[in-house]
Amino acid sequence: MTIKNALRDYGQRYRPRMACLRKAEKVLLEMQDPCAGVKSQPQRLVITIIPHAITGEDIIAWLADRFQIDPQEASSFGSMLVALGYIYPLQDHKRLVIKPDTSLYRFQTPYFWPTQQWPVEDTDYAIYLAKRNIRKKGILELHEQEQYNHLHKWMNHKWDFIVMQAKEQYRAAKERKKPDRVVFDCQERAYWVVHRPPVRKHSQKLPLNNFVEVFEHDLPRPWHSIFIGFKSKFELDYSKKSNFVWASFLSEPFTCRSKIVGENLAFWEGCEDLKWGTAVAMKEKAEQIYKTFLARGAPRWINIDGKTMEITVKGLKHPHRYVLDAAQTHIYMLMKKDSYGRYLKSPVFKETLKKAVNPEEHKFNEVQLEQNARNRRPSLSPIIIRQQEQEQRAKMAASAPVDITQVMSKLSKQGKEMGPRHSK
Amino acid sequence: MGKEECKTMLDALNKVTACYRHLVIALGSTSDSQNLREELKKTRKKAQELAVANRTKLTTLLKDKTISKEDRAEYERLWVLFSSSMELLEVDMKRSLEIGQDFPLKVPTRHLIQTGMTGNTNAVAARAMSVQNMKYEADSNIDTADLRDLQSEITQVSQMMEEMEMKVQVAPWAVVAKQEAGAELKSNMSVGNSSVGVISICEEEPKDDEGGGGREGGSTSIGAVLVFFVILTVALVLGYLVVNM
Repeated sequence: MTIKNALRDYGQRYRPRMACLRKAEKVLLEMQDPCAGVKSQPQRLVITIIPHAITGEDIIAWLADRFQIDPQEASSFGSMLVALGYIYPLQDHKRLVIKPDTSLYRFQTPYFWPTQQWPVEDTDYAIYLAKRNIRKKGILELHEQEQYNHLHKWMNHKWDFIVMQAKEQYRAAKERKKPDRVVFDCQERAYWVVHRPPVRKHSQKLPLNNFVEVFEHDLPRPWHSIFIGFKSKFELDYSKKSNFVWASFLSEPFTCRSKIVGENLAFWEGCEDLKWGTAVAMKEKAEQIYKTFLARGAPRWINIDGKTMEITVKGLKHPHRYVLDAAQTHIYMLMKKDSYGRYLKSPVFKETLKKAVNPEEHKFNEVQLEQNARNRRPSLSPIIIRQQEQEQRAKMAASAPVDITQVMSKLSKQGKEMGPRHSK
Repeated sequence: MGKEECKTMLDALNKVTACYRHLVIALGSTSDSQNLREELKKTRKKAQELAVANRTKLTTLLKDKTISKEDRAEYERLWVLFSSSMELLEVDMKRSLEIGQDFPLKVPTRHLIQTGMTGNTNAVAARAMSVQNMKYEADSNIDTADLRDLQSEITQVSQMMEEMEMKVQVAPWAVVAKQEAGAELKSNMSVGNSSVGVISICEEEPKDDEGGGGREGGSTSIGAVLVFFVILTVALVLGYLVVNM
């Protein structure tokens, strides 16, 4: 289970461990089989014919047949493959889902497959945007233009290289025959739709379902989830711009208590900001943090012991990145021992748990649905997996013991397949 | 002058890197073949030769303490160009090793990914090698034999890059690029007609703006042809009249 966007992206894209990639690749290879694989057909464009197009319904039928699952599950499995980037849609290329009709898809080339060890480089994205700029004669989409400007600003020292390489790659691509050129353009575009999707801004900072999902699973640092919960609550309070269900639900006593905890969280955030921020802004940030949290009579004074305070104040005379580490650790331990326990006993938490176990129906609008489709986790729900296992076991128990070794080997094979999906 | 020579060599390295990337993208797909593996090998070797030549030239230029501040800034800029090219090349070499191992060609049942690409990459490789046509003379087991060479070459390149970082003290972030945003649009290359047709057929949806661009290009060419015929007719009519007068 990954907490998306929980921590700030300090220029490093969060890369979750994906043990399922190797398995997905095996499935992909099986789909290529000329006899037993997915049926392919040529795609007829204006004057060109490009082979190896597959329909959504064929993919779903093949998956359902291969894994002996029902069409709905096959559909979500297929959508996972599309969301990961192994298959890309030819029509409606921005929606990474499998449609169970005659919409066309194509397999992605291995170079553009998602990989664990090769991070998606911003340099490559900049080169892609420059190439697109050439092709579209300067008219990029809004999010692309924003990204282009952003990259131009912070990758300025490499910009000569990016322009040169973009031009050369563009020329090299033109050396191929027309159908291959079209395919290549589609492949590249699909790759960047997966890895640099256009970011839509919504009024809700953290939808309830995300928060509830976080609660459902074990985390290495469980109180981190509460941090997120608190954080979103504070953002709502301070920003006062949400129609979030949760906000209306929280009661006054909790808000009071949370105001005490709020300082600690804000301080912790400030420390993280200092640690990871730019060196230029460091001195200012350190001064601000001191004025807000540490000075005597500060508006949001945090309660740390005298010795730590002394060390920190002394360190702040010559501020460096890790000057607030001692105070931060102290606050962390305080939260862990004190506030976390209190939160667990609070009525708010109990209500949230109740909602997690019996969630009320979400009322998403169109835009949200689209975003959710894009951000969907690439794995089957554990509830469905558990149900399936139970059914399997019942079936095994009901039927006569034909051959124990066969049965056991089949179960263990399935267990291995399901295994990596569990371990999130 | 040293600078011009450097720039020419860097341009060549840049070109080869771009072509190499294009070839690696075709690996494992239906346009993969023994020829492609040979093209990769040759392109790689050429890239390495250029890299070594560039590195020697640039290090001598940068080590010279008597150069002016402007010259030094320029050489640092060229150095950043060079090291960025090398980074790209290194990554592509490592990826080609990985994909090459995953998709062997001399097996009873080849499972290449049906990507829709079926053509060959001769022209791209010819561009990289700066020749008219590629000659293929390798054995039929190049896909496995080459991988061993590739591994040792990757080690060489990594070592070279480490040495470069240690020996030459250039702060890449301090370099100011000469090109501004959108510089790629102001090129002397033909951005126009041949590629516009390509754009239109990527998507079949009529509301996609790429389709619009294609239709525009198509109608422009039809218009041009019509105009040509009109002029021809007028010329013929006038000629007829002149002859008969």
